[in-house]
Amino acid sequence: MKEQLQKDFDNTIKNLSLSQKDIQVKKFYLDNFINRGFPNRREEDWKFSDLNQIIKKNIGELSFYSEYTSTNKIDTSVFVDGLEHNKIVFINGRIEKIDFDYEKKDQIEIVDQSESINELNINNSLSDLNNAFTNKSFKILVKKGYKLSKPLIIYHTTNSKIWSKNINLRLNFELAEDSSLRVIDLFNDTSEKNFLNIFYDFELKENAILKNYKVDKSENRNIKYLFNNIDQNKNSISETFIFSSGSNFFKSEINCNLKGEYSSAYVNGIFSLKDDKHHEIRTIINHLTENTISYQLIKSVLEDSSKAVYQGKIFVNSKAQKTDGYQLSNAILLHKDSEFNAKPELEIYADDVKCSHGSASGSLNEDSIFYLMSRGLNYHQSRELLINGFLLDVVEKITDSEIKNLIKNMIGIKE
Amino acid sequence: MLKISKLNAKIDNKEILKNFSLNINPGEVHAIMGPNGSGKSTLSNILSGKKGYDVSGEVLFEEKDLFEFETEERAHKGIFLAFQYPLEIPGVNTNIFLKTSLNAVRKARGEKELDAIEFLKLVKKKSRELKFDEDKLNRQLNVGFSGGEKKKNEILQMSLLAPKLSILDETDSGLDIDALKIVADGVNALRDDKNSFLIITHYQRLLDYIKPDYVHVLMNGKIVKSGGAELALELEKKGYENFH
Repeated sequence: MKEQLQKDFDNTIKNLSLSQKDIQVKKFYLDNFINRGFPNRREEDWKFSDLNQIIKKNIGELSFYSEYTSTNKIDTSVFVDGLEHNKIVFINGRIEKIDFDYEKKDQIEIVDQSESINELNINNSLSDLNNAFTNKSFKILVKKGYKLSKPLIIYHTTNSKIWSKNINLRLNFELAEDSSLRVIDLFNDTSEKNFLNIFYDFELKENAILKNYKVDKSENRNIKYLFNNIDQNKNSISETFIFSSGSNFFKSEINCNLKGEYSSAYVNGIFSLKDDKHHEIRTIINHLTENTISYQLIKSVLEDSSKAVYQGKIFVNSKAQKTDGYQLSNAILLHKDSEFNAKPELEIYADDVKCSHGSASGSLNEDSIFYLMSRGLNYHQSRELLINGFLLDVVEKITDSEIKNLIKNMIGIKE
Repeated sequence: MLKISKLNAKIDNKEILKNFSLNINPGEVHAIMGPNGSGKSTLSNILSGKKGYDVSGEVLFEEKDLFEFETEERAHKGIFLAFQYPLEIPGVNTNIFLKTSLNAVRKARGEKELDAIEFLKLVKKKSRELKFDEDKLNRQLNVGFSGGEKKKNEILQMSLLAPKLSILDETDSGLDIDALKIVADGVNALRDDKNSFLIITHYQRLLDYIKPDYVHVLMNGKIVKSGGAELALELEKKGYENFH
């Protein structure tokens, strides 16, 4: 892999107009990645999902070079109907469109940050990989007091032009005081056997509100890693919803730093998996000051030999008195070979806190099925009704009613 | 309507029903009384098609072998079981459940499915008759309902599905006297010369309000005595012990 990385790196650099210094920085991250390789199960955060093995098994040799000079045609059929929205369109990793047509132009600033590297404080070789190979990246700045009138939908589209490729994306967001933004990430893949490595960094200033919804619905054989860093100042709110289903492997990582008093973070997720799909949600919520709140609810419905992993950590430092932290995960296993792994972690250094966690998994309740069938529903209808009911309360946690309805339709959850 | 002949039922190799026989004709109300563990709930479960029992013998419903039919087919054909412990189903809206159930049954019976407005009109009318709190229709099925509300919900479902044979499994347990009257009124409203009822109970109390044509005493998986409504009164006085 080392020669491949070196060669692909040199080719990538050739197409970028970078200063010698920037090249050196990227080179530094390349070397870091070469030294460390893909994460594997010996690393605590990856013990349920050995990415190195997963890539070997599902993709084999990856190539890291992508040719970004020519544009891709945008397939508008993937665009969401019936909901006016702003757009960012990625096709095969290339940014094809950034469009904030519904917003006041002077209230949003888009800054090209392609030269900069991501300085997130994470101990993860995928961040090195991302820094070494990211081609173009932007920071989206929402100005003080501005609340976007329409949501932003980020289309992550891949098509059959790419194969066995690693694609690295990065986007940064800054929400100034009293601003708000709703972001929907939609994954549409018709490609196979690629590895997408995506980093988002959000900074929420005082009173800012971020709502981020991620929907991985379309059936595909790609492998994805999505890292979200969310820094939160006083009174800010972040709400994250993840529907994890379509990809062959998908690990979503949420690293949230509640730095300002009265800030709060909500993470709600659904795993709906079949075949041999393997998905993970890893959260780290850092309560770093007084009076902060975090709430997490993860539900899974697992068929065949699919596997879901939820590692949720609540960290409370010694200053973070009056922390309110909660996490719960429930799974329905529909097959003897399906598997759910939960690793809740509470690390608490303050004494006046309220933190709790819980996890339960089991099969569908046969008595409930019998009850429904005795009322004339067939087995399939009864099962669907129970599963729908099981997942409904996660979707009901979505606070934006317009987006809640959109997502219900997308993922087929009925009221 | 229902002919049970020499029914034996085992669960985990434990014999529960032994050579149990019973005939119910159209329009008849039969009460089965018996102590705990006599096999009452097993009987109702088997008639509704619950899995997990090792069964032999014959049960005919309208001359057809009942064991040929799945649980939902029995509901379509007109068998209804009011559960002793109605299940709480989180995330399933009561109204939507009732409509799905009613339309599944109507469809199977070759009747026109009801649209949302027709259904709502019907369910509201039935709810008022049964004094079932209409707000509950928009709640999750049985979740957080009191014991009485759950039982009324069973009778509401029975009333909507218009079964030919209704089996009430200890519907009276946990009901106060007012709720008991409402439930009995719901049952009596369905009584005619075609519909039949099998009422399973510990106590004679319910039978003050739903007058049975026949009373059977079930002990250790067998009917040990059958008679008219007066048998229930006798039982109430003497207790089950004297029937050993």
